[in-house]
Amino acid sequence: MIEVRNLEKHYTVAEKEAGLAGSLKSFFKRQIRVVKAVDGVSFQIATGEMVGFLGANGAGKTTTLKMLSGLLHPSAGEARVAGFVPFERQSNFLKTITLIMGQKQQLIWDLPALDSFLVNQAIYEIPDAEYKATMQEFTDLLDLQDVLKKQVRKLSLGERMKCELAAALLHKPKVLFLDEPTIGLDVNMQVRIREFIAAYNQKFAATVILTSHYMADVTALCKRIIVVDKGRIIFDGDLAALLETTSPSKIMKLQLERLVPRADLERYASILQLEGLNVEFSVPRAEVSVKAAKLLAELPVADITIEDPPIEEIIGQLFTQARAEVNV
Amino acid sequence: MNSQPMSPFENTWRKFKALFGAWLAHMTVYRAEILIWMLSGTIPLIMLAVWIGQAQAAGGTVGGFSASDFAAYFLAAWLSGQMIVAWVAWEIDFAIRQGTFSSKLLRPINPFWEYFMQHITERFVRGPFILAVVALGTLLIPGTRLVASAGHLLVYILAIILAFAIRFLIAYCIGLLCFWLENATALDELYFVLSIMLSGSFAPLDFYPAWLRPILEFLPFPYIVYYPAQILIGRLPWSEIARVLLVQCVWLAIIFVLFSWLWKAGRRHYGAVGA
Repeated sequence: MIEVRNLEKHYTVAEKEAGLAGSLKSFFKRQIRVVKAVDGVSFQIATGEMVGFLGANGAGKTTTLKMLSGLLHPSAGEARVAGFVPFERQSNFLKTITLIMGQKQQLIWDLPALDSFLVNQAIYEIPDAEYKATMQEFTDLLDLQDVLKKQVRKLSLGERMKCELAAALLHKPKVLFLDEPTIGLDVNMQVRIREFIAAYNQKFAATVILTSHYMADVTALCKRIIVVDKGRIIFDGDLAALLETTSPSKIMKLQLERLVPRADLERYASILQLEGLNVEFSVPRAEVSVKAAKLLAELPVADITIEDPPIEEIIGQLFTQARAEVNV
Repeated sequence: MNSQPMSPFENTWRKFKALFGAWLAHMTVYRAEILIWMLSGTIPLIMLAVWIGQAQAAGGTVGGFSASDFAAYFLAAWLSGQMIVAWVAWEIDFAIRQGTFSSKLLRPINPFWEYFMQHITERFVRGPFILAVVALGTLLIPGTRLVASAGHLLVYILAIILAFAIRFLIAYCIGLLCFWLENATALDELYFVLSIMLSGSFAPLDFYPAWLRPILEFLPFPYIVYYPAQILIGRLPWSEIARVLLVQCVWLAIIFVLFSWLWKAGRRHYGAVGA
């Protein structure tokens, strides 16, 4: 569905030193610098796949999405989405995709969202019956009935985001580019939007690329992740496999019923943390079930949870590795 | 799913209707603002008073224009000025710098048509006010003949549509410069000042220095206010009217080529900042 080969986007930016002197200097002589926002990226995404795009701010995630949705002209390389060259902005291409940017809106600010939906219906050439059915479905899934007739500028951020989502998906695109779709939303609303995206993907076999600062978005939705750093891909593959290779152990958290001496606990596994009744062990992946059974049998356990180390840490490890390799 | 596929014509008509409806709703939210904007285009009305004063002081006519000639000319010039108003340079400038232009580029319609419909719709909101002012002016100054004949009115409508298209496309081109420049509105201001001075809003071009006239003929300005106004009030022979329409078409073609080039080149240059 999506094919990207050696995609590059280089910008030239004028730089200015701070202050008045800097302004004067740059007025007469501009300092030009080339920024390689995307620097030779290649990947393929199959129909129906949901892929998480991870990377720090400025890593090139959004620039890539903008090239894939036809907003930006690539400096070099090739991109094909659903068989189209995005930059050509062919009508059938634009009807196949959507790009949702958490901070930007397409809804008409001074009018109720419903008016924007009607405009989209006409622009995307959606027949009345289909429009009604889709609206009904989105209204139920996103709980929109009280929101649709309010002026957009009077909506809360969460309400507005739900309307943006509905407006962006009204034409039932087959390819979704989601750039920080949950930014600034509270946890409930994040979960809501996540569930909606998952449902949409299921129902329409839509292909999804998602960038997010909230790891929970990515872990909940995407099996596969692509990690970018400084315009290059440093990891592309299965999220679960990444966890296994980069973190060979799991974290086992226990709550005890009564205090147990540290020395007794150390016999089971290496202790990460011990505070009163709460213990955290680090246990090799292969031994998790055996150890858990043993702990439960031999210690006064009130509660037990087994977790992967926070994914932020794992991604952080990836970055340090990648940068170390570059420096070698 | 697609119960009844629609013809291309039907689809276009639906888009036209939807954009018209949305913008009309939007404009009615801002109707007071539109009235205020109209007041900012009142120079011909002020000049009307000035020149009538001159005519009366000179004993009836100035350069062959009587008070009612001036009234007819300036009312027609004001009407024309109102019909060709275009602020699209500001819209594009804002959209490109704020990043909202990106969401327009994502839709399967050229943003041009959205802006175009926005302006057309606004003309409908402005229309009743314009007619009221013109009617009032005609009544207040005795002997004013604003419309020479039904034929002149029809040709005027054609000429003013062409004039609007020229002004709109020029403004659009200025707006597109924002793909390269930080800010294009300063250029539109410059255009606005030139246009007020050179389009015939201050005085009929008959009063301009003889050396300036031939130069003006080669600029677009006279063809968007002065000549349409002259057509409406019947001061041009039909052969001259034909020439004016032809020159308008030539200008439109030139600016359209420029617009196409700027659009193509600008999109390649677009940085889609902020969004």
